[in-house]
Amino acid sequence: MTAPVLDVSGLSLGFRQDGRMLSILDGISFRAEAGKTLAIVGESGCGKSVASLAIMGLLPENAAVTGSARLMGRELIGLPAEDRRALRGAEMAMIFQEPMTSLNPAFTAGEQVAEALRLHQKLDRDAAFKAAVAMLEKVRIPDAARRARQYPHQLSGGMRQRVMIAIALACRPKLLIADEPTTALDVTVQAQILALLDDLKRETGTAVILITHDLGVVADHADDVVVMYAGRVAEQARAADLFARPEHPYTVGLQGAAPAAGVRGERLASIEGTVPDLRAPPPGCRFAPRCPFAIAGCAEGAPPLAEVAPGHFSACLRAPLDAMLGAAA
Amino acid sequence: MTALLELRDVVKHFPVRDALGRRAGAVHAVDGVSLAVAEGEVLAIVGESGCGKSTLGRVMLRLIEPDSGSVRFAGEDLASLSPAALRARRRDMQIIFQDPFGSLDPRMTVAQAIAEPLRLHRVVPRAEEAARVAELLRRVGLRPENAGRWPHEFSGGQRQRIAIARALASNPRLIIGDEPVSALDVSVQAQVINLLRDLIRDLRLTFVLVSHDLGVVRHVADRVAVMYLGRLVEEGPAEHVLGAPRHPYTRALVAAMPGAQTKTPPLEGDVPSPIAPPSGCRFHTRCAYATEQCRAETPRLEGAAHAVACHFAASLPAPVERSAALGGGERLARLQGFFRGNAPSPIGMGDYA
Repeated sequence: MTAPVLDVSGLSLGFRQDGRMLSILDGISFRAEAGKTLAIVGESGCGKSVASLAIMGLLPENAAVTGSARLMGRELIGLPAEDRRALRGAEMAMIFQEPMTSLNPAFTAGEQVAEALRLHQKLDRDAAFKAAVAMLEKVRIPDAARRARQYPHQLSGGMRQRVMIAIALACRPKLLIADEPTTALDVTVQAQILALLDDLKRETGTAVILITHDLGVVADHADDVVVMYAGRVAEQARAADLFARPEHPYTVGLQGAAPAAGVRGERLASIEGTVPDLRAPPPGCRFAPRCPFAIAGCAEGAPPLAEVAPGHFSACLRAPLDAMLGAAA
Repeated sequence: MTALLELRDVVKHFPVRDALGRRAGAVHAVDGVSLAVAEGEVLAIVGESGCGKSTLGRVMLRLIEPDSGSVRFAGEDLASLSPAALRARRRDMQIIFQDPFGSLDPRMTVAQAIAEPLRLHRVVPRAEEAARVAELLRRVGLRPENAGRWPHEFSGGQRQRIAIARALASNPRLIIGDEPVSALDVSVQAQVINLLRDLIRDLRLTFVLVSHDLGVVRHVADRVAVMYLGRLVEEGPAEHVLGAPRHPYTRALVAAMPGAQTKTPPLEGDVPSPIAPPSGCRFHTRCAYATEQCRAETPRLEGAAHAVACHFAASLPAPVERSAALGGGERLARLQGFFRGNAPSPIGMGDYA
């Protein structure tokens, strides 16, 4: 196996608030490999977005991070701010849900892509703008030379997200983190953007981390999946294995709750209750209060992420779950 | 079945003004839509942003006045009603919005929010009000003890339940749900979808679901109407429209559903501006099958049970089959069976859930 582009190990994160520490991430680990898409999936508050901000070094002052995140072998946690800034854009880049708020309304699309190029490469203004137009062509913006001279408000939502991708990929980063990149877009445009990310990943060998709440998107576009729940990794597997044989009860429930999955006319398999309050998380497994398979031991300590099948990890005392079904399974 | 709600040739344009306040065209939000919703039916109106589906939902309740065309509720033309008569009629027609944070008044307790429509429509005598509020809360799966609490004390899913209880307060016959579960997390979304389905069945509600999410639509709707740039392009029973779509646009929508795993290439381009919609068939700028005729002539919505507005509906190739990518077979189905019982955790950690 080749060395991963990003290797996150035991990453924990908390925010100091009113003299207390609010723990958001509790020792998460995962790896992103070149030319592959790792999906991090979970519901609001599970910590999936904040994990990527920790990697990028975009957290506010009151955050406390421990553990390790290595990019091409280089430790990111504890790196001085200016070193981290030099890596952002050049080695790792990020795109967000709402491209309108990430783009500067006062500059044209081409100028913003050119700026990213000029920051990290020694290019003069004209050469940078030319390279920017080429980049906009690469993200398949039709009539790129004309669009490069337009301002963000003159572009559609899908086009703006393409510009963001062009900026992010301008300097050929090793790692691209896409945080819900298509959630604000219409479904036909979402399909275009995700197909574009797939193609660019294949062409450039960039490792992509796709943060999403949508299991359908994961099924269509991810190679590997990390399922997060309440600040911890619940399950981790190759995408095909996760969908064929989920081994954490939360993943089972999530798959049943996705309306695209269930049988029409049948009740959806909803997970009762709500995500726990991280100010007072339940003891032991954080999913136990909502889990139909819970036993007394589940309330006693955080279950370790254990390998239940080759390359397939589940943080559940009851895994493999076939035992729940009796001998027939 | 008789139609509870009937729309005929509804048109609604919103004027657009330039920086100097001069009229500079109009957004063609709804452009000649005719639809009937039968009593007890769940009709979904689907389409992408800007297709006019939300405007159409509001026109149905006369929250927005159409420019032309008629809206009849229980055989009565809503436009002919006096303001007072319309207010009284509204008792029968309610709406649930997408954002459960914006639709509840933060200065009203849950009990006050639900009691407001009870009083407005004089549904029950004052003495029975508290009991009715408690009954409505139970109906939507909330504990009546919470009646005195404020909206901010509840989660998004619970707030949407409160909004549903408020909509049910006047015993309406028709409810419009405008993206009612779109702002919720997947697991909570499933709870609210199940609740809506139970309520529709138990209270024999007529329900119009406005949604962009075909997954949700597939679970709730009996019939589906697909809109594109202000017009209906396809309309029929849900299993036909979503299972064997006939219009090229509906096919693209179904293929673009996450998890569909079809190898159909995504639709190119963006939805054109509704200020200057394309001539002829409005979809022709993005349609792989478009011809000169499509650019020139507007196709009519034709067909009895399953209607489609496409010049070439009869000659298009068969749609690509969907593979059920998310299905994990019988093992998964059996494991998920444990989640359908609505049973709390067997080790009783209810305070944390």
